[in-house]
Formats: sequence, C-alpha cells, structure tokens
Amino acid sequence: MAAMAALGRRLRELGRGVRGVQTPPRYEESSAEFGFVQRLLPPSRVPEPPPHPKYPTPSGWSPPAGPPPDLPYSVRRSRLHNLPVYEGQRQGRRLTELRRIHGDIWALERDLRAFLGSLGVPEVAAQVNEVTGTLRLRGHWGPQLRRWLLHRGF
Amino acid sequence: MIRAGAAALRAWSRGRGWAALSTEPPAPPAAPEPRKEEPPVLRSCRVPVLSPLSPVQAWVGSLRHPEDTLRGLADLHPDVFAVSPRLDILHTVATWQRNYKRISHARVRTRAEVRGGGRKPWRQKGSGRARHGSTRSPLWRGGGIAHGPRGPTSYFYMVPMRVRVLGLKVALSVKLMQDELHVVDSLEMPSSDPRYLLELARARRWGHSVLLVDTNEFPENISAAVEGLKSITLIPALGLNVHSLLKHQTLVLTLDAVAFLEQRLLWHDTRYSPLVPFSLPHRDAPGAA
Repeated sequence: MAAMAALGRRLRELGRGVRGVQTPPRYEESSAEFGFVQRLLPPSRVPEPPPHPKYPTPSGWSPPAGPPPDLPYSVRRSRLHNLPVYEGQRQGRRLTELRRIHGDIWALERDLRAFLGSLGVPEVAAQVNEVTGTLRLRGHWGPQLRRWLLHRGF
Repeated sequence: MIRAGAAALRAWSRGRGWAALSTEPPAPPAAPEPRKEEPPVLRSCRVPVLSPLSPVQAWVGSLRHPEDTLRGLADLHPDVFAVSPRLDILHTVATWQRNYKRISHARVRTRAEVRGGGRKPWRQKGSGRARHGSTRSPLWRGGGIAHGPRGPTSYFYMVPMRVRVLGLKVALSVKLMQDELHVVDSLEMPSSDPRYLLELARARRWGHSVLLVDTNEFPENISAAVEGLKSITLIPALGLNVHSLLKHQTLVLTLDAVAFLEQRLLWHDTRYSPLVPFSLPHRDAPGAA
C-alpha cells in the first residue's frame, strides 16, 4: 500500500517534469496607444472661435469689437459666443428677451428706448427684471437688437 | 525769538549757528514714513478673469495660532465668489436638497383592505336604521379611509445641473459678502485638542457653527479635534452643498479647496450640453470622469 503510494508520487513528479513548470505568460504594460482612444473621446468644453479673415462670417457671426466698452452696463456673450437675444411668443404676444445683463440695467433700458424711438417706435413696452438681469421687449426686435449691441461693442 | 544770553552766545561761538540763538523749540525729527508694503498675493486665479471683471480678494490665515490671520491675500474668481445674490435660486436648491430624497411611507387601508365588511349588516328596508352595504365603509367607525395616503410616495425630482451649480456660487458669494468666509493656507493644527479649535473660533469671532472644507486628505490633528465637536464640521470639497453652507454660520476654505471649487464650478460656464453623460470619459472634463 505504501509502496503503491510512493510509486504514484514518483510518477506524478516525473509527469510534472516532462510537461515543464507552467510559468504565466510575460506581459508589458504600456499606454503608448491610448492616444487612439483619447482622440475618440468627445470634448467637453466649447472652444474659442478661431480668427477669421473677415467679419461678419458667412453665417453672420461677429466677435465683440475690441475691449469691453466703458458703459455702466455690460452684456456678456452666451456659452457658444453668441449675443444673448432671444425671440419668442407667449399666447400670441411676440417677445424679445435680452439676457445676461450686468451692471446698471436701467441705463441699458434708457439707451434701448432711445434706440427704438429712433427706429420709429412710438411707445416701447419693456419689462426689466433686476434680480435676474433680463429685459423683455414687446415685438420681435432680434436683428435690430443684435446690430445695436454689436455697434455698442458687446 | 532771539535769545541773547551768555549760554546762547557761547553756543553761537561754538559754531551752533542761528539755531542756538532762536528760542523756538527744536523741530521734532520727521516721523518715518509708514512702509507701504503691499500684502503678498499668495494665490491668483488659474482660470483667467476677463475684463471688465476683476478678482475679489480675501485674507489668508492659518490655524497654527489664534492670531495668525493676515498672512497674505488670495485672489478669488468673481464668477464664483461675486455673482449676484439670487436668493430664489438658494431657495430652489435648498428645497430640492431636502425633498428629492424623501420617500413618505404613510399608507392607510381602504375599505377594500380593512378586515371584514363583506356582508350587508341589515336588510335594505324596514329596520328603521340607515341603509348600509358594509361595516367597513368610510362612514363607519373602524372603517377604511377614503382618500388617505397610499404610500410609499416618492418626492424625487431633479433641478437642472446649472441651477445647482449657480446655487453653490450664490451661496459662496453670499458668505464672502457677509464676511463669513475665511481662507486658510492649510488645516494643520498644533494640537488635536478640541478646546484649542473652540478657543480659536471664539477668538476670531467665527460664530456658533463652522464648516471646514479641504480637498481629499485632512491632517490628523484636525480630524481628531473635530470628531467630538457638534458645532464644527469637516467636509471634503466634493461634499460642499447649499444646505450645509446655510446651516453653518462660518465657512473656512483652504487654498486647495478654493482652486478645486473654482475649477469645477467654472467648467459649467463653458461646457457643451452632454451628448453622452458626463460620467463617461470626456477629453477635458474636470474630475475623474
């Protein structure tokens, strides 16, 4: 019995020797090819617009002209570098909203009234919200507002 | 006035000049001009501040000594620490924080669920009593409830991400404007005794509750000191929220926490809308994602 066990043990060792010790395969860690993955990942930040030879661009966009103007108010651009003028409708009333206003909103409202008066509007209906920094006008004045803001330098 | 005494003449001969003859008191030496040293700016904003904005500043102190409060200045980004005080947004975000986790388990039985009440109690006509179909109707004592709570009810809702971010910015700005925000270079303390921290807070008049914010790791002394205290809380910068900011009277940020908050909160001002969730990897998103 013991002789049989010993024989078995010797045969098992022989077999192990014939097959060889199974070493795990050698490997190497490298992140050299991670660039191929990274270029597929989507960007998360809106890039700065590249410089164009002529403004306005074919789509009608213009950057702010030079340094911010020396006015008591300022109108900041939106996330995608556009002017914050939005047109809409509420129950059939046409509205134009000017958002992202900082500083003295009432001065901006006075200047806007003067501008729209020069366009020929007899009575300008405007709603100023000081807390949120927004200004609403009755009627669709989008293109005129954008041209006026660009002219002002925002 | 000119003196003409013997001592004055002797001083004159010794070469003291006209000053020896005059009786006016000698002019005091000119006081030394106070040294106009600008306090050093220990930290400037990593994200560029575009004109017409300019950074707001706060004094940087430390916790190593109760009087070590004026080490230098830190520049804080105005789009995080000087936004307009939108109390309506603070209310929105604080209410959301209270209610979105709420699940109300109130539940009562209706007339169908109350045990019994299957049989008509007495005949329809002739008994003299009001007509009833079941002893467990809402009219009966012990009967079911007609329009009661049928829980569990969830009050979950989400406020847009940018509103929550703006809530944090408004809370930080309000803390700074109300002189309740203090910047510290690090949270290192000379001892781990809670009484030292309480004495420091009392000496600096910080108020009855203090919120200490640092980035990932805290020194041992401050963790041990804050452990037993109820009025002083220590949180990582990732855990900053509007409810904690409103609950605690004073906010103490380290310079690392200020940099972390500026980077994370300002990213939302210039990011795209998520085509894929931001929890998936993006090319230049801040944080681990």
